[in-house]
Amino acid sequence: MQTEKTEQAGTCGIGKGTLPDGCAPLAYPYIPMQQNNPPRYNRAEALQTGTLFPGLNLPFKAAMAEKMPTDNTALAELMALDFAVDELGLYLTTHPNDQEVLELYWSYIKLAQEGRDKYQKMYGPLLQTDLTPEQGYAWLKDPWPWDEGGDD
Amino acid sequence: MFVYEKKLQYPVHIKTVNPKLASLIISQYGGPDGELGASLRYLSQRYTMPYPELKGLLTDIGTEELGHLEMVGTIVHQLTRDLTEKQVQEGGYDAYFIDHTEGIYPTAASGTPWSASGIGVKGDLIADLTEDLAAEQKARVTYDNILRFSDDPDVKDVIRYLRAREIVHFQRFGEGLRLARDRLDEKNVYYTNPSFD
Repeated sequence: MQTEKTEQAGTCGIGKGTLPDGCAPLAYPYIPMQQNNPPRYNRAEALQTGTLFPGLNLPFKAAMAEKMPTDNTALAELMALDFAVDELGLYLTTHPNDQEVLELYWSYIKLAQEGRDKYQKMYGPLLQTDLTPEQGYAWLKDPWPWDEGGDD
Repeated sequence: MFVYEKKLQYPVHIKTVNPKLASLIISQYGGPDGELGASLRYLSQRYTMPYPELKGLLTDIGTEELGHLEMVGTIVHQLTRDLTEKQVQEGGYDAYFIDHTEGIYPTAASGTPWSASGIGVKGDLIADLTEDLAAEQKARVTYDNILRFSDDPDVKDVIRYLRAREIVHFQRFGEGLRLARDRLDEKNVYYTNPSFD
């Protein structure tokens, strides 16, 4: 009996993934696993693109030319770091044994904590539990995220 | 529990109001394939998921969708703030305005209020995750369609970002389904429902 063979992990290219034993079962939806340690954008480009992974960047024609430069602010930097943490967290949920990505994850966790401290010193608390006695009850400070200037 | 973090996931800076565009984008707030439905679908499905990576995916993606709901609400708000009566009428925002003024209400672009009939919770991991794959594609198409009708670069930039997230979520749900299969009955995956039997 002839069975369909797929290439070995690592040779599929960034837009593809592996199937178990080279075959996928019938009557079961099948998405290939993204390969371990996949190519990545830097964090600013990842936020701008909406994914950390070039292999998952599948744009629509009407949006191909639209890329806004990322602001160079403490908030934009924190958004990029938090985004990288979230994106890597989802990846690690289905790839818990990818050591390289796990190490990158810890480094982003640390950077995101530093970015958070820096932002909060400048603009006030992100969580109600971040309030400090020196700031008073700064939770209500305008602008809120949906307001004009809320993302500056 | 949930805790509010006082920032958006991705910046929204819309300089020019556009009530017509707002009346289309509101569908991703409260339409059949919108972010409200997405978050409730995933956060509700997770209770019967048998494996930790599936509980994790539904919790984390469901939470991210709540962040996207906030971003879509912000887009609609910034597209409709301080409208004149003339802008409301000429922008085709009058019917919405009569019921909600400039408030942000979960409704489809067609005017149908948000309904749980747009989401599925079946209590079976294969059925639920397959629904989630379809849901991500439907949301992706809705964002494609919004991009067809948007000419404001400030809006397109955010919609393009949200669209990219649907593709990543599709991939991760597919991987979750693939990991689950290894633990189901090898000969007949439908033999038992691990969340019930």
